[in-house]
Amino acid sequence: MDYLIGGLYYILGNENWWGPWIRGICGLIVMGAILVFAMFTVWLERKYAGDIQSRIGPNRVGGSHGELQLIADAIKLFTKEDLKPDKVDTPLWAGAPILMFGSALLMLVAIPFGAFVFYGKDYPVAVTQFDVSILYIEAVSAIGIVGIFMAGWGSNNKFSVIAAFRNMARMIGYEVPLGLTIVSVAIMAHSLNIVDIVSAQSHIWYVIVAPLGFVIYMVALIADLGRIPFDQNEAEEELIAGWATEYSGMRFGLGYFAEYIHMVLGACITVILFFGGWNLPGILVNLHPVFGLLPFAWFVFKVVLVLMFIIMVRWALPRIRIDQVTTLGWKVLLPLALLNLAWTSVIGVIW
Amino acid sequence: MVNKHDVKRRMRQLMDEYIHEPQQPDYVLDESEMMVHIGPQHPIQPGPFLIDLKLKGETVETAKLYMGYGHKGIEKILEGLTYIQGLPVTDRICYLSALSNNEAYVSSVERLLDIEPPERSQYIRVIMQELSRIQSHLLGIGEYATDLGFVTMFLYMIREREYVLGLIEDITGARITHAFPRFGGVREDIPDGWREKAVDVLAMVNEKCEMYKELFSDDSVYKMRTVGIGTLTKEDVIKVGLTGPALRAAGIDYDVRRVYPTLTYPDIDFKVQTAKNGDIFDRVMVRIAEIQESCWIIEQALDQMKPGPLFPEGLPFGRRTPSMRVPPGEAYVPVEDPRGEMAMYIRSDGTDKPYRVKIRGPAFSLMQGLPPMLENVYIADVPAIAASMDSCNSEADR
Amino acid sequence: MDGETVLDSLKAQFPDAITQSEIDPKPPYIVCANVSRDRIVDVCSYLKDELQFDRLSGITSVDFPDANKFEVVYLIASYEHSVMVKLNADVPRDDNPSIDTVTAVWWHANWYEREVHEMMGIYFNGHPEMTVLVLGDDMMGDWPLRKDYEMYPGRVDAKYPYEDDNVSIVGEWPLEKKPWPAKRYYLE
Repeated sequence: MDYLIGGLYYILGNENWWGPWIRGICGLIVMGAILVFAMFTVWLERKYAGDIQSRIGPNRVGGSHGELQLIADAIKLFTKEDLKPDKVDTPLWAGAPILMFGSALLMLVAIPFGAFVFYGKDYPVAVTQFDVSILYIEAVSAIGIVGIFMAGWGSNNKFSVIAAFRNMARMIGYEVPLGLTIVSVAIMAHSLNIVDIVSAQSHIWYVIVAPLGFVIYMVALIADLGRIPFDQNEAEEELIAGWATEYSGMRFGLGYFAEYIHMVLGACITVILFFGGWNLPGILVNLHPVFGLLPFAWFVFKVVLVLMFIIMVRWALPRIRIDQVTTLGWKVLLPLALLNLAWTSVIGVIW
Repeated sequence: MVNKHDVKRRMRQLMDEYIHEPQQPDYVLDESEMMVHIGPQHPIQPGPFLIDLKLKGETVETAKLYMGYGHKGIEKILEGLTYIQGLPVTDRICYLSALSNNEAYVSSVERLLDIEPPERSQYIRVIMQELSRIQSHLLGIGEYATDLGFVTMFLYMIREREYVLGLIEDITGARITHAFPRFGGVREDIPDGWREKAVDVLAMVNEKCEMYKELFSDDSVYKMRTVGIGTLTKEDVIKVGLTGPALRAAGIDYDVRRVYPTLTYPDIDFKVQTAKNGDIFDRVMVRIAEIQESCWIIEQALDQMKPGPLFPEGLPFGRRTPSMRVPPGEAYVPVEDPRGEMAMYIRSDGTDKPYRVKIRGPAFSLMQGLPPMLENVYIADVPAIAASMDSCNSEADR
Repeated sequence: MDGETVLDSLKAQFPDAITQSEIDPKPPYIVCANVSRDRIVDVCSYLKDELQFDRLSGITSVDFPDANKFEVVYLIASYEHSVMVKLNADVPRDDNPSIDTVTAVWWHANWYEREVHEMMGIYFNGHPEMTVLVLGDDMMGDWPLRKDYEMYPGRVDAKYPYEDDNVSIVGEWPLEKKPWPAKRYYLE
């Protein structure tokens, strides 16, 4: 096992000229794996929604559970005609899905998706890792707001403009409690680095220490993702399809997929911040080096549970009106987030 | 090869010639106002109609409704067909409550002919009307739930509706357009074994309605969206002239089955369901309570029914006479549609075709009352209010 | 309150306007009366204010080209009691048939009168908005429900192949029954 780790250090290290290139390719592989995981999330949503609604989801393509349904949908989206309406503002209209997808990809590079634990040392599976990664992730997720507004404004369509305004109001209102909650967790962990936050939870999970923070974070996350009950920008009855009215084919597919990647990343951050990340008891992991792969599976399992909770909330509640959404964000969540900040500061000072 | 730009130019020419904008009043828009059309084609509408909304920010200032996109001229068609030929046409006035439309037509013609169906036929007609009411309410509440974003409730209600439609299909043979009653009776009797099956299905529907009542009353997000919105007080409802569940939700105790009782409704004991305020929440609750009441009515009718003939003795004509001549006169018999009071004013002049048929549908007054309700609400409330009135566009346009 | 009280009080109040009245002997026992077209608004306001008829069920019109008149039929009901009144008003069939509007009495008479106007051509004096309701925008002036409206040239009414009541080409009723219950896949 020592030779294996020494060999990995040799390949991925900086001694040769091809070290950084290999690291780049591994990073691309991690990004690709996350895109596949997002496809799995879409399948999970369709099957789980069918279960809630007492019907079967897709069950034709690729086996009796429809695993390859997403491939069929992707082929359909690729082969659709790409219509460009006459009077749209082309840089805005064409650049909006790129911006949304880019924001999701930028978030992806700093999040560790589990880790391999060998001889007591964590090797997180992340593309990069730096000292202020939590704040960077939070900041980059805000670029998606600009993307959706560009889509709404550039579409030359009254319904899309109304959707864009609603979107801005909602996302700006919910970024503040989100940021405050993340800062409160960082206070408890005494660091902004994601890996340090996870290792600070090796004794107790933060969801038990700061439950109010967890609730606020969950609500703000579902609002940030734009899922029901905060679905106003894609409300189908009054705004036909919101920002996506004038998009067809893979342009629509990019934006749709970006939303699902954002959901996966949000679930990962939830697990990292509140549910202890990939921590397993040390006795279990140090039994045998093969058990070093267990923390990774444990992390994925927790992420899937959080995803199922988010999907269940979507199919179980109706939609809230936009003025009630802003009331909830500014008048209810913000004072609670400040309260949570005070509570975690106390805890952070003591421990 | 044809030049693409020539084709586009020619298409624009044709569009300018043939497409007319709908007539709009002279709205003068300020800078902060916007005009939005929830247009003839929209993903969530039950049928084509156009609502023009003048928006200020997110609030609606005025609304105007244009209908007529589904006008088929049924009244003129019925003047050219014999009485029995006109029976399937009345099915298609409102396809969701086809049995009530048939019943209104057949009752009016029976008044003109001065015959009365025997007791067993009357009970069968009562049972079919109540079954049709159950399935129409289930679909209406489901469509309203999708307009709020509550897709799961729609699928639950569709699941129950399939069982009820199976019951209807066992007797009439069709799921939507039945043409079941005949002048003087009904077409088919109840088959054997239907009674036990009906008792099971109705018990299930009853139990599920209890669950739906709980689901709607305990959901705080749903109550935030619906309580206190789209209120029609008693004075408003009387001014608009509504009938049906929208009227009963405001507290007025008016049901056509009690006020103008036809068939065997006097012998059946049921309560008229009302609610206190007139908002969206109450209208949906009244509909769910009406489903449960209909289950109880069907059980009573099945108990009280005795075996007997389906048509009266000694009819002056054969049972399926195509060229039956109706004595001259006028007749108007109102019937309780799931949406309100449905009636047909038939005027005959002694020949085998009606002289004038006027279809008085309840959806007409529901649509008339919609634009005043939409003033000073948020745009997100517009589809919720419109769907909670549960108006059927094909009935209003005829 | 029943039909006879209503009819007596109407006849007492408007002896000259109401002609030829009767009460239908069959349910729903409608009180029918003929009203002269000038006094229609007075009669309707009397019905609404004194006798509590606060719901207008519908307004229709029938075309009699032989007798050279239109008949406008008002069906009036109430939320408090169960009497229904039907008023027939004759409008002569000349170049501008017109009658007064009752929107001042009942607000919801608005759309009914619009529909009668676009279908028959009867103008309602004082109506706030006489535009098309159910027809298309360019069909105002066509008056489709008149008896002399030609939808397309050469149209004839349906003519059933035989006139004799005793001859029937269909077999006796009921036809042979199929076995029941049939298996339905979506219910299992």
